[in-house]
Amino acid sequence: MPLILSGATSGSTTIQATDAVTQTITLPAQTGTVMVNGPTFSYYQSSAQTLSSSTTTKITFTSSEFDTTSGMFASSRFTPTVAGYYQFTAGFGVATTTCPAWVYFYKNGGSATGKLGNYITATSGISNIQSTALIYCNGSTDYIEVYGGVGTGQALGTGSSTTYFTGILVRGA
Amino acid sequence: MNLYDKLIKLYPSLTDADFSPLGTITLQNDSDGKGDYIALWKHPSLKEPTQEELDAIN
Repeated sequence: MPLILSGATSGSTTIQATDAVTQTITLPAQTGTVMVNGPTFSYYQSSAQTLSSSTTTKITFTSSEFDTTSGMFASSRFTPTVAGYYQFTAGFGVATTTCPAWVYFYKNGGSATGKLGNYITATSGISNIQSTALIYCNGSTDYIEVYGGVGTGQALGTGSSTTYFTGILVRGA
Repeated sequence: MNLYDKLIKLYPSLTDADFSPLGTITLQNDSDGKGDYIALWKHPSLKEPTQEELDAIN
């Protein structure tokens, strides 16, 4: 299979493989790192955590559905060693009592740099409160945790569809 | 008695709105075994209680 590498006057670079069909990849005239198999994870709470009333609490995630981060996730904290922009999603279930509920992503442990995710009035039964955010991490010191609260203290719902924390690198720095 | 219950006992006029994410008081727990604490207090009329005042509430 002939492989052709050519540059254009616009600065872009084209990689072209020709055989029975022609396959072409054009790289834009920018400097960057092509990410392949970037880190991603999905953790959930398997043992119910009880929150005090109106107290914003770090949510714990002790079981994983998958984790390709090679150790970046520990103690319910994600500390990526690859700099870039990460899409995070987290949620928890309120099982028993109608009350306000909220969920945050905390960056580097402080509410000052945290992002308010969502705030609802959960109803009894199981209400799931979820939030998503796109957050830049520097690949060395930045870390992300999930904090949540409920107006009336209670145990959270458990399981991968109820109380969870997922993340994926969507763009390198 | 947890911190929230102590604050409500000390200041019965506090409501859920005061403790909401957009409220005037933030209680926090870092799940590190150290328990609940006052992370932020900016209530316009009620002063933040001291640890001694909280300890005296049963």
